[in-house]
Amino acid sequence: MISLKGVSKQFDGARKVTALDRIDLEICRGELVAIVGPSGSGKSTLLNLIGGLDRATSGEVVLDGSALSQLSDDELTRIRRDKIGFIFQFFNLLPTLSCLENVSLPLHLRGWPRKKTAERARELLELVKLDARMDHLPDELSGGERQRVAIARALSVYPPVLLADEPTGNLDSVTGLEILDLIHDLHQRLGSTVLVVTHDAGVAESCARTIHIRDGRVFEDVTK
Amino acid sequence: MMLLRLISWPYARKHGFRWLLTIAGIVLGVAVFVGMHTANQSVLAAFQQTIDRIAGKAQLQVTAGEPGFDEGVLDKVRSLPEVSAAAPVIEATVSAGGTNLLILGVDMLGDRSLRTYDLENSEDGIDDPLVFLAQPDSLMVSKTLADRKGLTIGSRLPLDTMAGQEVFIVRGIMQPGGLAGAFGGDLAVMDIYAAEKMFGRGKRFDRVDLALKEGVSLDEGEEKLKASLGPGFQVEPPSSRGQQFEATSRVYAIASDITSLFALFIGMFIIYNTFAIAVTQRRAEIGILRALGATRAQIRTLFLAESALTGLAGTALGIVAGLALARAMAGYIGSLLQDVYGVAQGAGEITLDPKLALAAGAMGVLTSLVAAVIPARNAARVDPVKALQKGQYQSLSEGENRARRRWAIACVCASLVALGFGRIGVVLYAGFLLAVLAAVLLSPAVTLWLARAIRPVLAKVRPVEGTLAADSLIQAPRRTSGTVAALMLSLALVVSLGGLARASYDAIAEWMHVSLNLDLLVTPVENLTNRTFVLPESLGAGLRAIPGVADVQMVRGVRIQVNGSPVMLLAADHGALMRFSHQPLVAGHPARMLEQTLAGAGAIASENFVTLHGAKLGDSVEIPSPSGMLHMRIAGVVRDFTDQQGTLFISRDAYVRAWNDTGITSFGIFLKPGFSAPGVRQAILNAFSAKSRIFVMTNAEVRGYIDRLTNQWFGLTYVQIAVAVLVAILGIVNALTVSITDRRRELGVLQAVGGLRWQIRHTIWMEAAAIGVIGLALGLGLGAVQLYYSVQVTQRDIIGIDLGYAYPFGIAFGLLPVILGAAWLAALGPGEQAVRGSLVEALEYE
Repeated sequence: MISLKGVSKQFDGARKVTALDRIDLEICRGELVAIVGPSGSGKSTLLNLIGGLDRATSGEVVLDGSALSQLSDDELTRIRRDKIGFIFQFFNLLPTLSCLENVSLPLHLRGWPRKKTAERARELLELVKLDARMDHLPDELSGGERQRVAIARALSVYPPVLLADEPTGNLDSVTGLEILDLIHDLHQRLGSTVLVVTHDAGVAESCARTIHIRDGRVFEDVTK
Repeated sequence: MMLLRLISWPYARKHGFRWLLTIAGIVLGVAVFVGMHTANQSVLAAFQQTIDRIAGKAQLQVTAGEPGFDEGVLDKVRSLPEVSAAAPVIEATVSAGGTNLLILGVDMLGDRSLRTYDLENSEDGIDDPLVFLAQPDSLMVSKTLADRKGLTIGSRLPLDTMAGQEVFIVRGIMQPGGLAGAFGGDLAVMDIYAAEKMFGRGKRFDRVDLALKEGVSLDEGEEKLKASLGPGFQVEPPSSRGQQFEATSRVYAIASDITSLFALFIGMFIIYNTFAIAVTQRRAEIGILRALGATRAQIRTLFLAESALTGLAGTALGIVAGLALARAMAGYIGSLLQDVYGVAQGAGEITLDPKLALAAGAMGVLTSLVAAVIPARNAARVDPVKALQKGQYQSLSEGENRARRRWAIACVCASLVALGFGRIGVVLYAGFLLAVLAAVLLSPAVTLWLARAIRPVLAKVRPVEGTLAADSLIQAPRRTSGTVAALMLSLALVVSLGGLARASYDAIAEWMHVSLNLDLLVTPVENLTNRTFVLPESLGAGLRAIPGVADVQMVRGVRIQVNGSPVMLLAADHGALMRFSHQPLVAGHPARMLEQTLAGAGAIASENFVTLHGAKLGDSVEIPSPSGMLHMRIAGVVRDFTDQQGTLFISRDAYVRAWNDTGITSFGIFLKPGFSAPGVRQAILNAFSAKSRIFVMTNAEVRGYIDRLTNQWFGLTYVQIAVAVLVAILGIVNALTVSITDRRRELGVLQAVGGLRWQIRHTIWMEAAAIGVIGLALGLGLGAVQLYYSVQVTQRDIIGIDLGYAYPFGIAFGLLPVILGAAWLAALGPGEQAVRGSLVEALEYE
């Protein structure tokens, strides 16, 4: 499903910083993988490259048969749109849109008819147990509820790949556990490939495979 | 200073493009101010220089308006013991080989005591005035003209005269400098009696230049001359001609001042917008400074210093741009003044007047400071604790909004009260300003309300892009309110100017329909404003004899001074007066006013004459003439567009008696049924063109000429409209540039969840369109109010004609595509900026 071959990422500045250094990885369809490592190790950069948010300096990221470096910006966007769902640490919900509108956003962008879009958004909000909060604005929700909305948005087209960057990092421990349960539940029910970047040992423990990143390289890759 | 370097400079560098846009508002205002004034000053200075150089040693000049006076006046002047030397002059411009040439007719016998002709290579004894006199085809030209046209002593120079084209011989070339430098060097001197013949002046001079005996003061000399010549003559130093030129082109100067002030006023809103946004964006920074011990006064001073520097930079660039604009505009202004006012004068050297530079600097910096006062005060009031908390702080506080609304209502009430006292000038202007102020104060609240109202519409068009575009406006009123206000003011200006232009065109069309219903117009020049040449009265009889001519009406048009202001005097015969008396009547009875005017007891005044001179029907007007002061009653008032300074129509008989001038500037010809205008025109040309300098225009050509003149005049209006729209576009670019910076994360999320580039662009474009539509709605509304005041001010203080209130619906509808197009253009750059750059950085942007 996801294949990385010799992937490196350097950031140019006053000093060149190598965030990822010749990474090779294979992730199969339906796997639930935790990516862990200390701050600045390159785990978020890795997730950004897999998700097509950024481009590798060298090497190749192949997602579902598509070599991402060969794609134009719009083709990359279409890959994100059709194959990837993102869950961010700070939710990244649009503050002016209601929960229903936030979840509908990717579907509108795909040009879905309004009725079908609304039906799917409602269905997803019910799935994350927020059917009572559909018309609320993000500011009117708790942190956990906001992350549920973000998850519903990430699932809007039932993408084959779900990428979560510190999904519990901005939540208290109880809410974090609820979100983690939800991710596991969705993984089992929908069969998506899920990659979770986390600092939280508990989150990593709950995943079948854990990849340790240190200084931009794969330090350890453990499958239970 | 240290805070400026540590805090302000890095922020300005980071947001360089936005600062450039901010400065652009000031640059544009200052550039228009400096450009128009410098171009005006250049034309005026060139005119003044021409006057000075021609005046030579002359201390006083005797004139009696454009018609001049009989030769006998010269003897009267010379006979005064206070006068040491007096010389007659005819001064006129002619077109020669595509350029304007100033012809100075002088009496070589007496003139050298006043003027020095520094001749080079003179031959044939040109230094002897008697030789010059004996050869009436003699011409002295300046060295500049000789070099330009390749003339040497003995060269033949053909010139148009009243008797057709005649060849003059160059018999002297004047060295550069002094007299030869007048009119940019395009100068030729001929004998005054040859000039009388050339221009069809009969036995008349334009003026007498004179020097006083030693020990006689100017005031004393002036007094003695006035006493001797009577009240019909003006006795003034040569420099006063410059003031007359300024007075003649007064309306133009007012119009150009309004343009530059409005550009600065609108620019002020762009600066306000930028500073208001900067305060919002830099809240955390301000919070840190306050936490570290900066006082409120220090924060306020910091922002005011930033704005002063912005104003200074904008002013400096504006002055440079203004000088370039002046160079580009000087030629246009010169030809406009010539075509509209009949005063030929090219532009001189473009130089910056230090006083003007100081005034521009003061205006630029002051505008910038005034614009930054409220944002600086808000910056000083920032609560350090709240400022250091994360999250957006955009919306206007409810308290701030309420206060604005209260002030706005107070302004509306005061403005309505002022309407009741509209006759008093200061109150009228105050009411106007209050109405504009009310609109500006209300604009944030109305913008918010309108943004909410159009959200469902935009969402219907494009669910994501439309909703986000509207939300962007709703969430960040500070970001958009200044831009919307600038757009509103710009469009209100467009509506009011457009309304005035439309009303003027309609009124002129109606006027032309009545007063220009003749079939042909015979003139000595190819246009209607140049009165250099004069046709003989006898031509009238010849014209009547042409087959097909039913009636010939004679008019003599001259500019004279009434109550110290330039006024057009139209001396018309019976038929022409009948025609003029049928113009749209403002006051009086048509039959009675015609009767009184024909009897020579009264004058028909144009509406703008009575308004600008504070006169009314029945008042007595004192008209200075060489035979004394004419006291004429205003027998009627008509709407007439002949001259911007006002027109008086009197009977030709009265004119001939008072001025002893039988010359004619136009013959109006009416045809018998069955005769075609082109056919009769050809017959007239066949009969007279070989003997006399005449031009024959058909009715359509006369109307076309006036239309062209009107268009040329309103060319300035189009400049004003272009400046207004340009400033508005700058405002939109500014708002959108800030918007995409503020919404960087939001736009990043949009792309992360699948938004394609064109979808992101559409979001920005729709936001621009929304700003445009809201600005348009407010601008069209304020324009309706502004048009009312503009009509009042135009009537009261500018042209003196009540143009009537007619909302320009055509222009209003036409503005929709223009503004949407402009908004789209303004959004192109920011739209591209939004889709470029790192997505990861955008998602992490705070």
